[in-house]
Amino acid sequence: MKRGIIALLVSVIVLATTAYWFFGTKKSVNVHEILSFGVIIILIGFGIWFVVRRFSAVRSGEPQEDELSKKIVQKSAAWSYYISLYMWVFMIWLKDRVTMKTEEVLGAGILSMAVIFMFCYIFHRLRGVRNE
Amino acid sequence: MNNRIREYRARFDLTQDDLAKRVNVRRETIVFLEKNKYNPSLKLAHDIAVVFGVPIEEIFLFGEE
Repeated sequence: MKRGIIALLVSVIVLATTAYWFFGTKKSVNVHEILSFGVIIILIGFGIWFVVRRFSAVRSGEPQEDELSKKIVQKSAAWSYYISLYMWVFMIWLKDRVTMKTEEVLGAGILSMAVIFMFCYIFHRLRGVRNE
Repeated sequence: MNNRIREYRARFDLTQDDLAKRVNVRRETIVFLEKNKYNPSLKLAHDIAVVFGVPIEEIFLFGEE
């Protein structure tokens, strides 16, 4: 339950700060900002789905976490770490070729890490975890 | 590794939910096990074998694909 509440809290904080950033800015929004906003919304959706699953498991008398769900998270984290290393190398390569501010590169990198984790999690949930 | 969980579950007239609750895992884990998408820990394999009252090797068929 504790992890579910933390995930919910993080999702709400990210949603609130994103909404403040997006709607609170006086200047006109560009394509990069709209794209970032869309990705953040997808990630928040993923976070809320994660929390809802945990709460519904508790409600139906199942454990919030069991050995399979732990393994899926662990494997997804390991995979996303490896993939993120290559993503950061690509971002460094990209930074020299495209005019981007350092904070934009960092923001895009952090968002990409979250997206990579989301895809790894979905992949492992669909594929299963076998000791091959 | 294959398993005969579905077969034993039918024999004991247990639903996936019943078995999941008896071995303290999510129903989803039983689904993954029956589809051979997950190899359980020794403890979970033991717990499942205990529910059906048979040795582990009766449920989990090692070395078969």
